[in-house]
Amino acid sequence: MGERKEEPRFDASYDAVVVGAGNGGLGAGLALAVNGARPLVLEQHNIPGGFATSFVRGRFEFDVSLHELSDVGPDDRKGGVRKFLDDEAGLRIDWMRVPEAYRLILTGQDMNVRVPFGVREFIDCIEAEVPGSREAVTRYMNLCQDIYDTFGYLGRGGKPGPARMARDFAGFLKNASNPIKDARDLFVHAGNFLRSAPYTVAEVHDALGLPGRAEKIISPYWCYMGIPMDRLGFPIWAGMLVSYLTQGAYVPRCRSQEMTMAMESRIRELGGQIEYNTRVARILTKKGRVTGVVTADGHTIRTDHVIANASPNLVFGSMMDPAEVPTQAMKLVNARRVAASGFVVYMGLDAGPDELGITDYGYFIAEDMNTREQYDAVGALGPTKMQAATCLNRVVPDCSPPGTTILCITILHMPEAWYTVKPADYVKTKNDIAAALIKQFEEATGVAVRERIEEIEVATPVTFARYTGAFDGGIYGYEPDVWDSVPARIMHLQNERFVKGLEFAGGFALMGHGYSPSLLSGRAAALATLAQMGVKS
Amino acid sequence: MKEKITIKGELRDLFELRRLTHERPQRIRAASSRPQGPPPINALARRIHPAAQQLEIVAVRDETRAARTFRLAPDADAGATRCAVFRAGQYLSLKVDINGVRITRPYSICSSPDDALNGRFYEITIRRKEGGFLTEHIWNSWGEGTKIEASGPCGFFYYEPLRDSADLVGLAGGSGITPFRSLMKDITANHPDARMTLLCGVRNAQEKMFAREFRDLSRESGGRVKAYFVASEPDGDWDGPTGFLTADLITSLAGPPEGKTFFICGPQPMYNFLDKELAAFNLPRRRVRREVFGELTDVTVFEDYPRELAGETFEIIVHAGRRVLTVPAKATESILVSLERAGLNPPSQCRSGECGFCNTILLNGGIFVSPENDGRRKAGIKYGYFHPCSSYPVSDLEIKLNPAVHAG
Repeated sequence: MGERKEEPRFDASYDAVVVGAGNGGLGAGLALAVNGARPLVLEQHNIPGGFATSFVRGRFEFDVSLHELSDVGPDDRKGGVRKFLDDEAGLRIDWMRVPEAYRLILTGQDMNVRVPFGVREFIDCIEAEVPGSREAVTRYMNLCQDIYDTFGYLGRGGKPGPARMARDFAGFLKNASNPIKDARDLFVHAGNFLRSAPYTVAEVHDALGLPGRAEKIISPYWCYMGIPMDRLGFPIWAGMLVSYLTQGAYVPRCRSQEMTMAMESRIRELGGQIEYNTRVARILTKKGRVTGVVTADGHTIRTDHVIANASPNLVFGSMMDPAEVPTQAMKLVNARRVAASGFVVYMGLDAGPDELGITDYGYFIAEDMNTREQYDAVGALGPTKMQAATCLNRVVPDCSPPGTTILCITILHMPEAWYTVKPADYVKTKNDIAAALIKQFEEATGVAVRERIEEIEVATPVTFARYTGAFDGGIYGYEPDVWDSVPARIMHLQNERFVKGLEFAGGFALMGHGYSPSLLSGRAAALATLAQMGVKS
Repeated sequence: MKEKITIKGELRDLFELRRLTHERPQRIRAASSRPQGPPPINALARRIHPAAQQLEIVAVRDETRAARTFRLAPDADAGATRCAVFRAGQYLSLKVDINGVRITRPYSICSSPDDALNGRFYEITIRRKEGGFLTEHIWNSWGEGTKIEASGPCGFFYYEPLRDSADLVGLAGGSGITPFRSLMKDITANHPDARMTLLCGVRNAQEKMFAREFRDLSRESGGRVKAYFVASEPDGDWDGPTGFLTADLITSLAGPPEGKTFFICGPQPMYNFLDKELAAFNLPRRRVRREVFGELTDVTVFEDYPRELAGETFEIIVHAGRRVLTVPAKATESILVSLERAGLNPPSQCRSGECGFCNTILLNGGIFVSPENDGRRKAGIKYGYFHPCSSYPVSDLEIKLNPAVHAG
């Protein structure tokens, strides 16, 4: 054997340690590295990505969790994700555009409609299905657009926002460069935002008098948020809907893994260090300040800054010295509710999509569109009341060999639904649900799937917990009720930085779950960390 | 000019901002400050998919002159109390220390899932290889009381009713018979709708194993499972079928192939042989399941392999965190073997390019990847991720190696 330099695996200290290489952790590591800091990213699994990864079975490669990214946008109108990854970080990701918003099939409502991207096209589509709805839907979409624009206005930094104004008028005045003008601007730019922000989507829909059948066509994206319309805060809903309709949706050509591997590779190129199979067991603090981390295999690494791509549940519940955990932090953890996990059936079929009759990329299939009933069903161990299916070949035609198809069916499942499942019954339990979902899909679409399955894999909350370590296998962070919606989180952010030097990234962080919010929350956490370090970004 | 929209009345809307400003602090005040217990789903995940299992050999029996079955039970001294459940056909990756070198080997579990659950044991059957340094070591040093560290159950060579027809044909060669013992037991006990006809290729009567158990299972299952041994070099008193597992023989023993799902497990040359035989059946791909066969015995058989390099030894610069070291690597040995030989304890499980457990990043240099075992992701190929167990150096290399998984 050659010379062996007995250096340790790690440097004595790092500018910042990122715990976890999921979307949030990679976003954080990348933004740190791009701005000249030298992060150490520690990941317990053997590859980057967290949920943004893929796996191979036979001649198929399945994306674990991605349906589509929002906030990417076309090359000439880049969204936040694309600006970050393409422009700031210089990555070359082969973005593929999803052709339509979704096909909605409501079997009990005689509804089968392909819903297009584009606000005007969206309104036209609903008018065609629900004649006479145009006026109400147009007004509704104008409001949504206004909310979306206001997020942009507030996001442009430094402006004394409605949050501060509502909470603390003196603070607003103090921070406003020209209080009268700022207040006027705020009402001009954010009036509708201020008036609708406290409400649930259902309350806004009622107030605007959306026809019931139009509301059904508008609502299926609720399953990307994970709580029903009568609890979901309106602004984040409006922002998401407009983002999808105006910017479209995208997936990387080689699954989400292409994006996360591109990010990790760039972090290393820029001098960051990433280590896999290396779980962080503890975050060290002293007198309310981060001082380092300890890995499961016993390395102590010094740092003043930790960005946790792990939930506050894990960080405050088991990674810190209990004596160092602020009471308020634990109380906030306990006040919030971990949102749904998922259940996914991944299938490689041995016939092409044309032959099978699969016409669209994304299907939302249900008997009816009642988000409250659908949400309640998510808590039970069964096939639930709404499924989202994707056929990747409709976006990436060569994602599988000629004459084959990749079809995935996803439903939400609350972790609790799986608490009582015994290991001996695990496979049968998941197979029974998978069989029911395949049947649902076949009946709704008329496509014969079952006889063409060449590869199949079924993932449950247990699977997600196994590979990512996510708290209770949750894939959707915390439930975004009005009081825990993104505006409410931003409003209270300053009071909820419990430990100096500790930021959160990913689905449990400020901006909520989903690929794009997670990526950008990592970036935001990095910028906050850089600011604390005194680095100008 | 955009329209001003009120939701429940202008004053009411402003008042309702309290939902954002006041409700959150109220809810926090009302919440418990006690830490939550550990999340149940993560605990369930560790039970079903443990990173490591501490086992102990509790019984040993010889199946043939060269095949030995080891019964493995949870090692009570290490605090282990149960075996993780598995699907019949799955394997365990065992960690073995030989003269300070830590290697892994995948062995199919040949006992039934019910045994793991109720009897709390696994069985594996190992065939002794002439001159094989590992089996030599096992024969010399493994006995009752030997402690073994194993992975959780892994692999995809199982009967999947969502995908497979219920009419199954097993084709086994050599030690490829072992997962079928588990499959036949499981089908007998737990899949009343399924049937399996197993054809085991052996050289002669001395290689037959599990024959009596298979006869018992056949009776117990009412004939749903049955096994035939096919001898390629039959002794004088052999009274069963002879020859190789040809298409004709398969049809004559298992019936016409239409609608059947074939499960194949055996050494690399057997797959090459069966590929040709099964071609005559014109089966859809979904009806043929092949177990991976571990590392290649000879990488030079592949047409694209640069044979002129076969005698070379290259150097691998290994980055293990901030540590940098160099190890020699023979061209015809998998990179995984070179890393193990250097004492680096690299992670691995399937040794067949399938599971991804040994994922490593290629920073510089060229590799030859076995076309039979190339389980790389598309993005992985683009960004240098490769599986050392199914990759061979064709130049000096520089790699970034992951540490072994820490079970704690």
